[in-house]
Amino acid sequence: MDERRTGWLLIVVLLGQLVFLAAQVPSAGGSGTYLQAIGLRLVSPLARLVAVVSRGFSGSREDLRLREGLIAENRSLHREVDRLRLQLLRLEDLGDEMDRLGAAVQYATPPVGQIRAADVVYLDHTSWLRTLVLYSGGTPARMNQPVLSPAGLVGRVIVVAGPYAKVQLITDRAAAVGSMDLRTRRQGVVRGSGGTEEALDLDYVPLQADVRPGDRVVTAGIDGIYPRGIPVGTVATVEPGGQLFHRIRLTPLVDFGSLDQVYLLDHLPVPAEVKKALPRVRP
Amino acid sequence: MSALKFLLGLAAAVLVQFVGVKLFPDFPRVVDVFLVVVALHAFSGNSLTALLAGLLVGLLEDTLTGGGLYGLYGFADTIIGYSVARLAQRLVIQRATGVLGVISFASLAQQGIVVGLALLLLPSPPLPRPLWVGIKALGCGILGMLLYAGAARWTRTYESRRRGRMSRLRMG
Repeated sequence: MDERRTGWLLIVVLLGQLVFLAAQVPSAGGSGTYLQAIGLRLVSPLARLVAVVSRGFSGSREDLRLREGLIAENRSLHREVDRLRLQLLRLEDLGDEMDRLGAAVQYATPPVGQIRAADVVYLDHTSWLRTLVLYSGGTPARMNQPVLSPAGLVGRVIVVAGPYAKVQLITDRAAAVGSMDLRTRRQGVVRGSGGTEEALDLDYVPLQADVRPGDRVVTAGIDGIYPRGIPVGTVATVEPGGQLFHRIRLTPLVDFGSLDQVYLLDHLPVPAEVKKALPRVRP
Repeated sequence: MSALKFLLGLAAAVLVQFVGVKLFPDFPRVVDVFLVVVALHAFSGNSLTALLAGLLVGLLEDTLTGGGLYGLYGFADTIIGYSVARLAQRLVIQRATGVLGVISFASLAQQGIVVGLALLLLPSPPLPRPLWVGIKALGCGILGMLLYAGAARWTRTYESRRRGRMSRLRMG
């Protein structure tokens, strides 16, 4: 093919890609494409292989290093288990009490979801377009399924390709989580700060709202994706932003650099019929 | 043969990316192995294959990046592949420092295109820090230069061995 024809082909390919990109804009940060799912399916097995091999290496190295401290750690863990058992008894008692009170006023609590573990096979949490790929085994992940770690919220599934899934981290600029200040119950929207540092912004909190550094922020359960009460972050700074809203910076509770296993939360999402009846909200 | 070499290079790039991210979390910020593959392939001067290689590699790279839009790197790498191939048709790049310059500039251009597209298409896009853009461009240039120099050296050694073997055959 001569250079002239190649030049025309370049223009056609670029225009096609621009149309493809523009078509995604309404759902930016939303659903993935088939092409992306195919790509993910192709490269993820290799990522999983690297993750498994690396885990094997670091695991055996860790075993050797930690053998001496295992006995002491075991004792301290036994003490911790005893303490947690006592706490569990107390919480079960409180839970029963809450159920009884809820039944008395006919309050319908949202169902609590099940969680299942998934391995992180690829994680890029440092570059400006950050992402995470997980392997969920036999049962594939579901679109928009919340992803958690023991410390708090990690993100949500945006592309599913067989047992692999791509996760949008909450620190991604395109991510948005309906959240609330745990102390005052004031709601806002948590977004990735967009910088290279792992930080979050809590937007749309009016100036008259009481928000202080150190406040814990949890999901509010208002976006139809994340259930209420999942820890998101801690308020780091509160500054007067514009004329209406605070500029609130959060520190995420999750250390994204140390994630090697995450949990998929199987909870009942808001039914599609209900979502259709609502004005369009982009999470 | 060229396609096979390209596919092997691409597979190696994917592997290096996965291992690199596992060992050094900052790896994707410092070097873009996919861009290096596109640029080195485009040095052959065939603008058609360079264009297609850029498209394929870019879309693959898009599966491993976030940001909400799929195809940013596909677009950028298509332009980079084509441009580097056109440049290679006009310039004879033999020195390793020349390769460093071209690939570093290609990386700067690629990051510029991706940022530009993100600014055009996303409401409040994330932006990389200029320092890291520079570091990444330099990282890509150095990696490209090392690979180019290594491949040239290997080809020279292979050729001289082959010539030696041929002359021994003739004498025998």
